[in-house]
Amino acid sequence: MGIFSKLFKGPEVDMEKSNANARKMRLLFDQVVENGGDYRIIFGYTEDVARFNYGFVHGSKTKIGNLIVGWNEADQTIVVVPTVPDLSGCGDPTYYRRSEILKAYRNKYPTDAFIIYPDKKSYIGINAYDWLEDESLYVYVSQEGELAAFTQFFMNQFAKK
Amino acid sequence: MSLGAIGAFLVVLLVVFVVGNLWFHFVEGVLERIKGVFRGRREPPAWHPLPPEQEDDK
Repeated sequence: MGIFSKLFKGPEVDMEKSNANARKMRLLFDQVVENGGDYRIIFGYTEDVARFNYGFVHGSKTKIGNLIVGWNEADQTIVVVPTVPDLSGCGDPTYYRRSEILKAYRNKYPTDAFIIYPDKKSYIGINAYDWLEDESLYVYVSQEGELAAFTQFFMNQFAKK
Repeated sequence: MSLGAIGAFLVVLLVVFVVGNLWFHFVEGVLERIKGVFRGRREPPAWHPLPPEQEDDK
């Protein structure tokens, strides 16, 4: 019974690693965002899927961009900071203030994502999950509580039609 | 089907796979070069590394 329950138990989160990455995310975020401590943060990612047809070879390519997503309930602002799975560095932040964006909504199809249109020409789709096991593609962090808080903020305070 | 025929079929599959990959990377390379010509020289995006003392904190 003990052996079987261990065998069939799904993958478990390494909380030590997850907590270390959460600290790194916070360090990076606070480094590039002014008053970063006023924001709660989660890990998210973008997916850019491109189809190709090179004669007899065709298929699709997916590019994944890792993000540290911060939100400030008081300012109704979301900040997105690009990063890499090992959290060795990050790029410049992009601010999405509710008063300045065109629209924001949660998409269910084709993927569950938080969509923000800063203007008519561009948009960002932020995918976020409790935990993603593949460390080569995504930041290894467990964030069930934070994701629930972000979802609640996005749906109840940030979403805009 | 004889073992030889199965082997030959697998070799054909392998050749198709290798040629397909080579063709894919060749076309990708050509497209990247063409895009590079039109894009010109762009400033690389700013990058802020994690402070080194924190990087060792695994």
